[in-house]
Amino acid sequence: MRKKILIAFVLLALPAFGGPDSQWVLEQCTLTYHVSHPLHQSEGVSHAARGKGICHDGQCDFLIAVAVKSFDSGDSNRDLHMIQVTRGAQFPMVTVRTRLPESSSTSTTVHADLEIQFAGQTVQYKQVAFELTTQGNQTRISGTIPATLSDFKIDPPTLLAMPVKNEMPVRVDMTWHPQ
Amino acid sequence: MLKNPSSNWRNDVPCLVVVCVLITLVPSVAAQAPGGGALMGKITDPFDAVVANATVTATSVETGQAQTTITGKDGAYRFDLPLGNYRVKVEAAGFKAAEIPSAMVNATQTAVVNAKLESEQSDGKPAPPTQENLPNAPSSSKTAPTLEDLGITPAQTQGNAQEQARLDKRTHMLKVHQRLGLITLGPLIATFITSANAGGKNTSNTDRTVHLVLGAVSGDLYFMTAYYAIRAPRISGTETRGPIRLHKALAWIHGPGMILTPILGALAYNQKNNGEKVHGIAQAHGPVAIVTGAAFGLAVASVSLKF
Repeated sequence: MRKKILIAFVLLALPAFGGPDSQWVLEQCTLTYHVSHPLHQSEGVSHAARGKGICHDGQCDFLIAVAVKSFDSGDSNRDLHMIQVTRGAQFPMVTVRTRLPESSSTSTTVHADLEIQFAGQTVQYKQVAFELTTQGNQTRISGTIPATLSDFKIDPPTLLAMPVKNEMPVRVDMTWHPQ
Repeated sequence: MLKNPSSNWRNDVPCLVVVCVLITLVPSVAAQAPGGGALMGKITDPFDAVVANATVTATSVETGQAQTTITGKDGAYRFDLPLGNYRVKVEAAGFKAAEIPSAMVNATQTAVVNAKLESEQSDGKPAPPTQENLPNAPSSSKTAPTLEDLGITPAQTQGNAQEQARLDKRTHMLKVHQRLGLITLGPLIATFITSANAGGKNTSNTDRTVHLVLGAVSGDLYFMTAYYAIRAPRISGTETRGPIRLHKALAWIHGPGMILTPILGALAYNQKNNGEKVHGIAQAHGPVAIVTGAAFGLAVASVSLKF
């Protein structure tokens, strides 16, 4: 009798181990790029990113996508110039892909290899550090991607004949929840 | 709240199947993976041109396991798969997704599934929204998420070369506008400096002529500057925000001022040359010029400096 109960328990428990893959959904996201010019310090912010993570065999594949034109620097003229210089009409989306171990959701820091498609270029950033904070079923991830204009073959925009700096760090602040 | 995505996805399959899909299951004796079979094919557009970089997903009807690959430059793809029945989905930017509900992979023959994709714009209607397109719907894929999983349609990811060309032209013209505006500042400042000798009691005809010539050069450069701003392509759906609003508003002051100043200057010039004291409306030449110059200088500063 005990043997039968044990077998039944094992059979019932099996789907739980090999069962449906877990998923993560991006709840909130703020992406902020920073551009430096001798006369200006500018920031463009987007809250329009969408993201999803699919976990399978202990590994989670994440995809985050945001429209280039969703970034708002508070100046429509600058935003249009940014769309032009980043070829945003030709390549309207920025996508970020990464793969992380499922166990990293319990860590306080994670180092992610990112693959970013932007301005018609695909660039990989290795071991970008992000901080993780978990509250309830929400996980907040924040960090800075050390992007540069030259990585994406973007000609630096100029103002009064002076170009902006090559560095264009992107601050990432995301809240994910499991589904 | 959300329905079971896989059942909805299957219900929506007929919507995704494109009429023009051609399925040809051609027996082949091509090399196959040991213990499995192979599935291959070629993806073409309505004009029979090959479609490179199309995403092809083969999903086992029995197990739900999915594999994805990308077509090569020749539009061809190939899977080495366990034996069984597969559903094949083809997606490519600018085309409607195509779904082949059944393709049998067996040990002796390579299954060949070719698909001819229908253009996204062919009927002018956007693809109907599916449960999958909702950003919070669980993904149907067991592997990496796709843009479709995020609710982003191929139309949203498709580039618009015409729009890019428009933006390029706009930026080019505004760069010329910016350069000419800065160049205009030179003769404009010189015109203001020479005005001290042009309007006083003991002024010579030469001083007035120098002032007039500098003013004329400033005016010419100014209208060339204005031309490049006015003729720069407008980008529809863009709300004007930030310092550019002040820059544009100031044009309503320095624009009419740049027309009025030389007219009043010509009256004053003639009165002075006739030995008369500047009188009447010509007396407004100086104040109008100051307001115009100040508005122009502020317009340059409004887009150059952060206040």
